[in-house]
Amino acid sequence: MGTRAQRGALAPGGVVGDGRYRLLAQFGIDERAGAHLWRARDGQLRRDVALTMLVGDPADPEAALLGRRTLERAAHAATFEHPGVARVLDVLSLGSGISSSEGLLGIVVAEWTKGTDLIDLVAERPVEPGAAARMVRALAESVDQAHQSGLVLGIDHPQRLRLTPDGRLRLAFPGPLPDATLRDDVKALGSVLYLLLTGRWALPGGPPALPPAPKSPTGRIVPAKSLQPRVPQELSALSVRTIEDGDHGGIRTSAAILRALDQAAEAAERAKQPAEPAEPDGSVWTTKKPSKDRARRRKLALGVTALVCAAVAVLAWLGMMAINFFQDDGDTSGPPVNLAEPTAEQQAGQNGGQNGGDDGSDGNGNQQGQTGRPVQPSEITVYNPEGEGDSPEDAPKATDGDPSTVWRTDLYKQQLPALKRGVGLLATFDRPIDLSKVRVVADSPGTEVQIRTADSPDAALDDTEVVGQGKLDGVNTMISLDRPVESTHVVVWVKALSGQEPEFTSEFGEVKFLPSA
Amino acid sequence: MQGPYDELATQMMPRILDGPRHTDIGERIPPVGVDDRAEPEAEPKPAAKKQSLAKATGRMAIATMTSRITGFLWKVLLAWVATLGVLYDSFTVANTMPLIINELLLGGVLTSVVVPLLVRSQDDPDGGESYTQRLITMAITILGIGTIVSTAAAPWLTSLLMDDSGAANPQLATWFAYLLLPGLLFYGLFAVLSAVLNAKQIFGPAQWAPVINNLVIIVTIIAFALVPGDPTIVPTSMTDPQVLVLGLGVLSAMTAQALFLVPALRSSGFRFKWNFGLDERLKEFGGLAAWILGYVVVSQIGMVINTRVLTAGAAGGASIYSNAWLLFQLPYGVIGVSLLTALMPKMSRAAADGDHRRLVGDLSYGSRLTTLMLLPVSAVMAVAGTSIGVALFALGKGSVEDAERLGQALAVSAFGLLPYALVMLQMRVFYAMKDSRTPTLIMVVMTAVKIPLLYLAQALLSPTHVVLGVMMVNSLVFVVGAVLGQVWLWVKLGNLRSKRVVGVILFTVVASVLGAAAAAATGMLVPDFLGAIGGAWVTLVLQGIVGLGVSFGVLMALKVDELTPVTRRVTRLLKRG
Repeated sequence: MGTRAQRGALAPGGVVGDGRYRLLAQFGIDERAGAHLWRARDGQLRRDVALTMLVGDPADPEAALLGRRTLERAAHAATFEHPGVARVLDVLSLGSGISSSEGLLGIVVAEWTKGTDLIDLVAERPVEPGAAARMVRALAESVDQAHQSGLVLGIDHPQRLRLTPDGRLRLAFPGPLPDATLRDDVKALGSVLYLLLTGRWALPGGPPALPPAPKSPTGRIVPAKSLQPRVPQELSALSVRTIEDGDHGGIRTSAAILRALDQAAEAAERAKQPAEPAEPDGSVWTTKKPSKDRARRRKLALGVTALVCAAVAVLAWLGMMAINFFQDDGDTSGPPVNLAEPTAEQQAGQNGGQNGGDDGSDGNGNQQGQTGRPVQPSEITVYNPEGEGDSPEDAPKATDGDPSTVWRTDLYKQQLPALKRGVGLLATFDRPIDLSKVRVVADSPGTEVQIRTADSPDAALDDTEVVGQGKLDGVNTMISLDRPVESTHVVVWVKALSGQEPEFTSEFGEVKFLPSA
Repeated sequence: MQGPYDELATQMMPRILDGPRHTDIGERIPPVGVDDRAEPEAEPKPAAKKQSLAKATGRMAIATMTSRITGFLWKVLLAWVATLGVLYDSFTVANTMPLIINELLLGGVLTSVVVPLLVRSQDDPDGGESYTQRLITMAITILGIGTIVSTAAAPWLTSLLMDDSGAANPQLATWFAYLLLPGLLFYGLFAVLSAVLNAKQIFGPAQWAPVINNLVIIVTIIAFALVPGDPTIVPTSMTDPQVLVLGLGVLSAMTAQALFLVPALRSSGFRFKWNFGLDERLKEFGGLAAWILGYVVVSQIGMVINTRVLTAGAAGGASIYSNAWLLFQLPYGVIGVSLLTALMPKMSRAAADGDHRRLVGDLSYGSRLTTLMLLPVSAVMAVAGTSIGVALFALGKGSVEDAERLGQALAVSAFGLLPYALVMLQMRVFYAMKDSRTPTLIMVVMTAVKIPLLYLAQALLSPTHVVLGVMMVNSLVFVVGAVLGQVWLWVKLGNLRSKRVVGVILFTVVASVLGAAAAAATGMLVPDFLGAIGGAWVTLVLQGIVGLGVSFGVLMALKVDELTPVTRRVTRLLKRG
């Protein structure tokens, strides 16, 4: 009755503890001890605190005695420091900090724990087993520590616990029941695990907000696994064995729980693996180092590696096709950019282009009708027996049918034969050609050209035979051989370059080999 | 083993001495994945002198920016004066030789082993004096031998790096190599000396030395423009005035850079004495150094093939590539690096604590932020690439065509910017976890993909387009690297919250596509009468503003969480201004 009468005073905004603590929000009631759990503001130190307020009638000697007992135990716990337990800052009792008019037997003041309510946590759906095991493990560590120093923590109520932002369970509202034992703490660990796994509270005296754990007809708690099929056997058994006053295989110490949790967490990690993709991404708890599934992941990773390499190879090929496509295209649409040649050569290219038209009619043999159609060599290379360089990669441009693309010698400081006797293009034909004329389309006036035949593609210069020569003048030059010659290798030899001191170079836009008719 | 490795967690990834290195003498053609030896994350003694470090970081940022700007300036200048042609190609190839050899001789070992030990040796009874003497003695010996041998082997090195079937001029490159390779001694020495200074908490000189280097090169280029002759005309000789001016100028720049550090070293109280012998502590690092060295070797192999393929193409390949690469890296250098600088200490602390959840959180946050910042930039780069190239490189003797080619190379590779930044981030996470093996293996895979693709580019593309293909292959290889990094981090760390990253990437892709479309539309509005270069500048500025504006506008409209701090900062700046 007394409790009820006083409840009105405990409302947000009210003050307790001689006006020092202003109540902010209620976080639950531990009905068993009449302990009201509040977040409050310490008006003097201007910080938030967690208050465990023992509501009761001070006139009732029995209630007062039990209250004192709780406060004493809490005061003991003030010496205990562990990240899993909120530090006790102060213990207020009747006469020291609390006036008798407040309707309180005492207050345990602890530092405020940021984080989440346990009930909120499981309100929507149970916690993923591996994560649950890890949370409980953190709590079990603190219980183990406390028990080693002979302290009872009193974690046997879900509203006294909170989940910190870094994923640990923490006793936020200390103040154990007067008759709580070490065994109660251990049972509470099992019960918390059960709660996380199933959303149900397995010990008596839980908050009304949580449904109690169902019991089988024999009076035993239904294993977590039958409520939540996802829960691995190890964890399910662990929670039940811890909660029940074990006759067979019960777990009675926190150290044993720690051991069992480690094994169970490992097992959970294994069991979780197949379900991994379905798991919501935001679950912060799954990032801990996996233990056994490394090998599997590694295999998967190797597969992805191979796949990515293959995909990229295909992409590269497509990309290059696209570059080719757009660049061929781009030449017509964009500004007149001939990327192949420096600007100086564009003039020549255009000239060559104009001559390209003539070339077609020449091919029809209208020049005295003595020659047949030009024969395309099967291969054309730079013939450079006395040096290197001179754009070997451009040689095909001399026979590609496009006079605007040219083969050009290097730029020389001195006229040939200062550095070497010359350089040329070697045309190779599949069948011997009965060569009668060579037509050169080029804008290199002054270039002296010899036509030579060779027995092999790598013949020395002295082993080749001069069969005709001429000097380039206009853009279009026809070099007639003295008499038609049969050969498979024909060298168009540049004996002297176009240009003047100090820059000499020659270029061929197009070279045509005309057989006798 | 615990000791050295712990120290490595914080010491290794910053690659302190690399800060200055990447702006100096000639860009290394891409350090494929070798981390962007960026920025003054120099934190040799995180605990000590925190405040002065913060101040130093600010000043270092100015020095770094200056050296970046001057470094870029001389490259552009050289393009204006010498054109993106055979001469620039030959110079670029020759200029990378000292860098490659230094990297092979010292680079890996220096950053992975010597520097952490250098920092530790400061606690020796003699303040690290004898260790430092041994280190410098060893460096001079190794570099001296390396310099003599490599200079003697210059023709061979040229033929290794250059494919003479193309338009490149190996003879010219060899002349340059003879002139530049002696610089290896000073170049390596500079790296060692700046490490020594950093270990003594003296950051300024090592940051400013590259600026000196760049200024000397700029003077050299002006001189080069004034002397007569054209060394691309056959027959070449090493005594051609232009070759001599450029080669000796850059050589003296390297020398000046190293000598600049000597007074600072003397005033710090250090006296050099020959001191032969190995420090016992070096042995603790064997395995780790081997993996790092493997990383270096593999990346250099990739680079050699890269250069060969480029020089087999049309003239200008190597120089266009190196400049396009420089531009490509620029956004990362500005945005990514400053982000990494902020994140890195947090991540290495999390890794050292074994707190994988926090590590993953930082990694995921870093990836998301990088995505938001860089994807819109790369979209604009893809659209405005050609304009960028023309605007910057078509001045002076530089031809619009070559500049366009450079811009196109930038455009086709712009998509690789984000993967590149992610690879850098991931590599650092690996190193933070004291894992030097996985980065090397990833590098091996990347190189294994890269080499055949490079040859594919050579086979499929016409010589003028090879450089576009090579840049594209590079970007694709970073895509491989980024995916691999993510996958192998997942193997090690578990859930990486990649879904959020992918979500942000999707949002940003949508925004960037819209931005790119807007930028492309803007480009069409620019009138023709402005001329090539003027038009390019106008297009570039307009497309940049419109593209980025639209992208970030869309992102803000979509209310992407990660953008909030940026938005807040921008609004604050606007209010203040």
